Amino acid sequence: MSQRSERRGIHVDQSELLCKKGCGYYGNAAWQGLCSKCWREEYQRARQRQIQEDWALAEKLQREEEAAYVSSHSSSQTQPPQSHSQPSLATFSKFEEKKTNEKTRKVTTVKKFFSPSSRTAPKKESHEGKTPSPSITRQSSIETDRASQDFLEFLKTLQKPGREIQKQSRAFIDSMGNKKDLGAEELSECVQDFYQGMSDRLLNHYKGSSEKVDRVMDQVEKYIMTRLYKSVFCPETSDDEKKDLATQRRIRALHWVTIQMLCVPVDEEIPEVSDSVVKAITDVIEMDSKRVPRDKLAFITSCSKHIFNAIRVTKNEPASADDFLPTLIYIVLKANPPRLQSNIQYITRFCNPSRLMTGEDGYYFTNLCCAVAFIEKLDAHSLNLSPEDFERYMSGQASPQRQDDPAAWLQSGSRFNPALSQIHQNLSVLSNLEKRQQQVIEGAQSLQTELAEWQDSVAHEVQEIMERYPLEIKSRASAIDAENVENDRLPPPLQPQVFAG
Amino acid sequence: MTAMRVDAKVVMLGKESVGKTSLVERYVHRRFLVGPYQNTIGAAFVAKALNVSDKVVTLGIWDTAGSERYEAMSRIYYRGARAAIVCYDLTDSSSFKRARFWVKELQNCEEHCKIYLCGTKSDLIEADRSVRQVDYHDVQDFAEEIGAQHFETSSKTGKNVDEVFQKVADDFSSCALEFMQEEKGVDLEQKKDSYFDNCCHN
Repeated sequence: MSQRSERRGIHVDQSELLCKKGCGYYGNAAWQGLCSKCWREEYQRARQRQIQEDWALAEKLQREEEAAYVSSHSSSQTQPPQSHSQPSLATFSKFEEKKTNEKTRKVTTVKKFFSPSSRTAPKKESHEGKTPSPSITRQSSIETDRASQDFLEFLKTLQKPGREIQKQSRAFIDSMGNKKDLGAEELSECVQDFYQGMSDRLLNHYKGSSEKVDRVMDQVEKYIMTRLYKSVFCPETSDDEKKDLATQRRIRALHWVTIQMLCVPVDEEIPEVSDSVVKAITDVIEMDSKRVPRDKLAFITSCSKHIFNAIRVTKNEPASADDFLPTLIYIVLKANPPRLQSNIQYITRFCNPSRLMTGEDGYYFTNLCCAVAFIEKLDAHSLNLSPEDFERYMSGQASPQRQDDPAAWLQSGSRFNPALSQIHQNLSVLSNLEKRQQQVIEGAQSLQTELAEWQDSVAHEVQEIMERYPLEIKSRASAIDAENVENDRLPPPLQPQVFAG
Repeated sequence: MTAMRVDAKVVMLGKESVGKTSLVERYVHRRFLVGPYQNTIGAAFVAKALNVSDKVVTLGIWDTAGSERYEAMSRIYYRGARAAIVCYDLTDSSSFKRARFWVKELQNCEEHCKIYLCGTKSDLIEADRSVRQVDYHDVQDFAEEIGAQHFETSSKTGKNVDEVFQKVADDFSSCALEFMQEEKGVDLEQKKDSYFDNCCHN
């Protein structure tokens, strides 16, 4: 019987053995009753969903964490008070802040990272590979999140190639996480190879127009470099930091270099020009705050545009490179931008080469490199000074301004040194204020005496008038009628007559 | 931010005040500036699109500082340049000496860079032959020796200006064609490699 039923069962199950989807093939219990083909489809779909969910979850956690972090810190944190007056210092404190920020985040992130994973343990293996390793997740901040979001948004418009780009970019970022110990040049090669491979593939495989590919590559660069910034900017394996410090010291030692020595065709006495100079200085300092090489380039370009404007206003004719380079050198000396060498190296290593080598940004960047090279090599000859003078200025024994006769220096001192001119200006403003305050006080005092005098005079006058016309108050209340003699002759008052109704 | 795509980098080299900027200004804006009037912001970098047969080539023209104090840095400027227009003043023999210096530098450092010798201010010579200090045939010989093109131009009258840049663009596009064909052979290999790489990462 049992055998029979079993046989019957098998017999009856014949139809049930077919794939549940009804595609006509046989199914398998291990595949939840589906045939191999349908199962694969189903499985893929589920997996895809899983991956997306996990991503969403991870992102959500990240954001929550960020929000918690921001709110916990915004209350306790105070800005360094001198930040606005000393840009380099401000950046440094920002930098430190980020470091600590990073540390605190690491702890929570790792914890959170493991808690949800048990739920999806078996399927996670392939997914794990694509998730940025903790070392990279730890770097994420609001900025990287936004970059990823923008990137995903952008890729949506590309459909199929978009997905591949996303996949490859993520895989690449992940692979870079394991290459931390490589030297800076090798890292650069990896990134450049990736750019090259990606743009070749877009050009050849997807037949994108070169403009479109450029646009895509810009986005890829933005995404990748925002994420990799922390690990590849000024890496420990390179001596970038040492060079930064050397350059910074060098620029500080050259504080005495004047516009005249560099033959800079800019006259800072003109308000518009000095305005442009300040903007140029701000831009070149600001460059350090950006993560994407292209954004850094944009700041260099903007700095250069301000310089051109300054030259144009001063000279009233278009600026050539002969005007531009010395002015840029002057601006770099004035600004002493933080981590200048690191930034230059970073851009050189990780910027999309097509942009760096030929375009307008590339031109200005090259000029900046020239300016830095010039500052490094600068000697007496390049400033038209005698070697002795140069030595004395460098050692701080003498200052070029004091060489001139004192009267001339006093006059032109403001032009040499904006800080001095600022002090002069402030002093004159202060003394002006003091004078005005004095005036106000004097005015107030005279007003007071005037008021007192007026009061006196009024009182005096009143007194006088009172004396002249003494006030005699006669009792009038009863006298009105008493004095009026005519009253007697008046007829008696009318009496109301009452008519009886 | 300009997103203009540039195909080739062209550097202008030459001593101060030989007229590099004027040459570019003349070519790009078709004008010669004498007085202090004008509203363009600097002419140090310009991107200019030219027609070469039926294609468009965009030249990125880089002006450089010619002063001797920046001589040590000039290498940074012409790195990766596809063409260099080395300018000298026809009325100033010292400027040609400097031009020779740049030619030597270019030959040493940038073998892919084509050299164009460009005498400037030819209008001054037409007005008065005695002011010429650089002999046409000397330069022509020099140009042949180094395999360069040679032009005498005037930014004031516009003589030969367009020709210089057109020649640069023509040479570039024919050169680029060769270059691309050369690359094709390697291209497949490279693509395969990179694709293989990607597989590994996944």
